[in-house]
Amino acid sequence: MRSQPALLRRELWEHRSIYVTPAVVGLVMTLLILTGYIFASGYHSVVDIGILAGQNMLGDAERRAALTAFLVGNTVVFILASAVLTIFYCLDSMYAERKDKSILFWRSLPITDAETVISKLLTAVIVIPLVTFGVIVIAHLVNLALTSVFVSIQGGQAGLLVWKSAPLFDVWAAILIIMLALPVWFSPFIGWFLFVSAWTKRSPLLTAFLPLVLVPMLEYFIIRTHLIGTAIESRFSGIPIFSGIDPEVFFDEEAFASRADAVSLLGFIDIGKFLMSPAMWAGIVVCGLFATAAIYVRRYRDES
Amino acid sequence: MTSLVRASNVSKRFKDVRAVDDVSFEIDKGKIMGLIGPNGAGKTTLLKAVLGLTDCDGQLSVLGLDPFRQRKQLMQNICFIADVAVLPRWIKVTQLLDFMEATHPNFSRSHAEELLSRTKVRKEAKVRELSKGMVTQLHLSIITAIDARLLVLDEPTLGLDIIFRKEFYGNLLNDYFDGERTILITTHQVEEIENLLTDIMFINEGKILLHSSMEALPDTYVELTTSGENAERARRLGPVYERDVFGKKVMTFEGVDREHLESLGEAHTPSVADLFVAKVKGAAA
Repeated sequence: MRSQPALLRRELWEHRSIYVTPAVVGLVMTLLILTGYIFASGYHSVVDIGILAGQNMLGDAERRAALTAFLVGNTVVFILASAVLTIFYCLDSMYAERKDKSILFWRSLPITDAETVISKLLTAVIVIPLVTFGVIVIAHLVNLALTSVFVSIQGGQAGLLVWKSAPLFDVWAAILIIMLALPVWFSPFIGWFLFVSAWTKRSPLLTAFLPLVLVPMLEYFIIRTHLIGTAIESRFSGIPIFSGIDPEVFFDEEAFASRADAVSLLGFIDIGKFLMSPAMWAGIVVCGLFATAAIYVRRYRDES
Repeated sequence: MTSLVRASNVSKRFKDVRAVDDVSFEIDKGKIMGLIGPNGAGKTTLLKAVLGLTDCDGQLSVLGLDPFRQRKQLMQNICFIADVAVLPRWIKVTQLLDFMEATHPNFSRSHAEELLSRTKVRKEAKVRELSKGMVTQLHLSIITAIDARLLVLDEPTLGLDIIFRKEFYGNLLNDYFDGERTILITTHQVEEIENLLTDIMFINEGKILLHSSMEALPDTYVELTTSGENAERARRLGPVYERDVFGKKVMTFEGVDREHLESLGEAHTPSVADLFVAKVKGAAA
């Protein structure tokens, strides 16, 4: 495992999209927000900066909620982009090296196939989320800075209205947890994509997605059951990491107003529930099986 | 003398084809062994087995290790260049040096940098920006900077022009080979490496046709150029192979007294290429 840091670094060298993709998403989003503010500034008499400038009793909690929504809205696009990035990364990770024959060079070094496959798995499950998270934090800071400029121009106190009200660490902690949990939850797919990448002779994208549709259909036609289809669907029906949300809280103005801290993204996250989820652990087992198969294929198949 | 590679009854089959068919041989330390055979003879399969890239039947030990099962340990002491194209095209020269330094315990970065400074390879360049010849220079520099006991070269100069090819072998001898290290090499351009080999092995259809030191070749093999009645007499001595060159008969003999042959015409030691053709065609006849 001594080679692991070098192997992970190599993945970043080869797949520059790991940091280019979130950087581009961040840039586009910042430009959109900037455009929005410039546009809105022209109508300053019409646009009510309302919540941000609100000085009423509810102000603190509402501002906090609004800024949380702003930051989360900023984040969703990054998470979607990193999902797409992860799929393409996995499918390419052991296919490209076979296509350009550089696999012969990599295998001429004192590194086992297991170490190599593990480095690809770690990249998909940990490196991509962490890099994306880093870019999200930068994007949040930039976008809040733009917001404070906008608020100042509108005559508001940016220090109080934006920076003091934005629950940055609460939001960041929640996002980091979710971003690390998502690949674990979807790890059966990551394992499958890595296996396809190590195994397929052509068109990894098609080879990866066709069975996801065909196998459940075949299962139904042949043995009249929906087991695989249900297993795949259930992954998308929700990740067991959110605690129940009590909508009463939002309608109880008194309670809401008295505790601005009640607005907490982190408060919705239940790590224990995630760690105790049998479905999550079952997913890790499936991922492990596919990763083992990928190691086996890389090791035993003759590439000539 | 210890043998670095020891193969006994090694076979490898792909479905119906026996790519390597019950092969036994040893390669001693300090040798430069040329493995010569036509396309599809099983050379590459045999090399892959030696490198632990493919499994095989029979006993094969390289540096005392089972190459397939102990590939990681083996690769600390072996290096190979399989084809000029195998360096990843996206990597930068400096990244390659960083990676080698981090993963290979026997790699000397300063040695590699010194070797590279003699070439036109820029350290900030990516492999895809380099010419084919420069990529080979880069690869050889990296390999030479590994303190490895066995170097395996599979068609290392394929697609290179004559100047790069000459330089490649020159550097190989000057920088890499020190009498302690061992080289196993395959190539189609036999004429170019003939002079640097210490041993040769011919392989065809998965079987070894000949395994000899270069020094021993003249004692065993004689090529006779003759014509007319002498040709008839020579033919009775049982040449392995016979061909026509400018109306004369050229026959290759194995284990026939050289002085006797000299009385029948012009006798000399066959080139490796001619000997190879004689052995392959002779075996087929």
